[in-house]
Amino acid sequence: MSNVKAIFGHLDCLVDAIDGVKSSGHADFAVTAPLPRHEIEELIYEGEPSPVRWFTLTGAIFGGTMGFSLCSLTHLNWPMIIPAGKPLVSVPAFMVVTFEATVLFGCLFTLIGMLYHCRLPANEMDVEFEDPRLSDDVFGMLVRNLDDETAADIQSKLDGYGAIETSITGGEHA
Amino acid sequence: MANTNSNSEAKVDTELSYGQVTSDVLAPLFTMGKPYMAGMGLVLLGLAYGGWCIIQQLVWGLGVAGYSQPDFWGLYITTFVFWVGIGHAGTLISAVLFLFRSKWRTGVYRAAEAMTIFAVMTAALFPALHVGRMWNAYWLFPYPNQRQLWQNFKSPLMWDVFAVSTYFTVSTIFFYIGLIPDFAAMRDRTRGVISKMYGSLAIGWRGTDRQWRHYMAAYGFFAAFATPLVLSVHSIVSWDFAMAQTAGWHSTLFPPYFVAGAIFSGCAMVITLMVPLSAIFKWEKYINVWHFEHLAKMCLLTGGILTYAYLMEYFIAWYSDNPYEWGIFAFRVVGDYWWVFWIMVVCNCIVPLIWWFKKARTNLWCLFIVSIVINIGMWFERFNIIASSLAHQFDPAAWTYYLPNYIEIGVLIFSFSWFFLWFLLFVKVMPSVAIAEVKELLPPPLKQKGVAAK
Repeated sequence: MSNVKAIFGHLDCLVDAIDGVKSSGHADFAVTAPLPRHEIEELIYEGEPSPVRWFTLTGAIFGGTMGFSLCSLTHLNWPMIIPAGKPLVSVPAFMVVTFEATVLFGCLFTLIGMLYHCRLPANEMDVEFEDPRLSDDVFGMLVRNLDDETAADIQSKLDGYGAIETSITGGEHA
Repeated sequence: MANTNSNSEAKVDTELSYGQVTSDVLAPLFTMGKPYMAGMGLVLLGLAYGGWCIIQQLVWGLGVAGYSQPDFWGLYITTFVFWVGIGHAGTLISAVLFLFRSKWRTGVYRAAEAMTIFAVMTAALFPALHVGRMWNAYWLFPYPNQRQLWQNFKSPLMWDVFAVSTYFTVSTIFFYIGLIPDFAAMRDRTRGVISKMYGSLAIGWRGTDRQWRHYMAAYGFFAAFATPLVLSVHSIVSWDFAMAQTAGWHSTLFPPYFVAGAIFSGCAMVITLMVPLSAIFKWEKYINVWHFEHLAKMCLLTGGILTYAYLMEYFIAWYSDNPYEWGIFAFRVVGDYWWVFWIMVVCNCIVPLIWWFKKARTNLWCLFIVSIVINIGMWFERFNIIASSLAHQFDPAAWTYYLPNYIEIGVLIFSFSWFFLWFLLFVKVMPSVAIAEVKELLPPPLKQKGVAAK
């Protein structure tokens, strides 16, 4: 199986290429950009939200519960009877630690969710993406797992969309 | 500026290419000119003197720091609050302004975030120094221990431990996440060991559609979490004082007053750092008067809130008819610490008013000098709150006059040197301007000019 790699110098050409490859029925492709562009995300994912949000929610609920439990259980474990009638489990006083733990664990879980879904840290990536220009000033596209005939067809289409460089590679990717 | 993009509010040179941005931002890295070496030399001198003072205190005890009954919160806690406050502007600029889609943040936010982290690292030195036996500072954190003791979570000092440590962790994550695409650009622009080092920091980032999608979602969540955190941290720091039954401290006004003061001093510090950085690195295309003017306007807003809070403190003290409360506020104006109070008023309420004039807030020298004056004023504000209230409590027999001694001044110098050491290292090994985000401000390269991408 072969891969087709294309380099684009212009965003509108890339957008046309994504549209064309998608509508020809090839779902196994990836695009790289040196900056986030909403056009690319909207075209590929069609507004579907990232699942990272579930990590965030889980982390925030876990953190809030843990923060309040930490305060309450430790005060019950080592009761300090403080004058002025404060109860051992004092909700207003414990809200501060609860809030901080909510934020802390919300962020930590978001980080884990982001790394997991981005497949980071990554030791191996598509070798085609090991191109220093891709983090600098051009956009890249890789259409994967094509037979030789389809690869040649896709290559000529990508050339037609305005790619500044296209190539067919052997398909070594992680 | 040759050709400015008047369509969006972003004042960037639209003739710049993506590649040019990468080259410009990475160009000053790893080269050390004379101003840099002179700055580093000063920092090392400060660290040497301050380090000697800290060693004196570790060997001989907290007594050498000049504390005595009843003024046990002196320069160290003043400087702690000062540095925590400085840290606030970084998160405000990077997170709050991100949520508001404010484009002027882009040029300055990376250095402001770095400033936040280094400021909190500096602030964190002070509780440890202040408790004396700093090797026991880990007792502040809750962990299962042989004595089966737990911290008192009803104490504002304990809240502070959680607030500052959470703030540091979240700010560091936010900072690092923002840097990942830029580390990837640096990996691809360098060779050999340096490329490998940045490759490790980039953790395999390639900028694929999948990565950008989850990255941007996570970045938004980090910003959403960091926004209330900015407000909470200095509110909690203010409760260190406001929860105490000490005249001059026990006030519900403190949280908003402290938050406004923190943003005021933090934005001033961003100006202090960025004016020379932009000039020395020749980054006027990315950080210029447009950014500084916005920062100056932030200072005008928060400085106005601060001045109002100063006035309200006096009104409430007078209106409460509480002799102790009114006593401490009168003492601050005409008592032993009158000079501290008036430095605070002149630096924070009067001098920044010059920025109401556009000519002044667009003049780099004026911006730089006034921003330093504001930071001097904000340090004295914290000293005014802390030292005067403790020196003039309810019992006249316990009144005192505390002034920092040479050891404490040495530790203060150490704190500035420590902060600038990290900042100077940062500007030479990491991109101080966010490469990927500056590229977002540029019009995308289009084959059919004038036709936007779909």
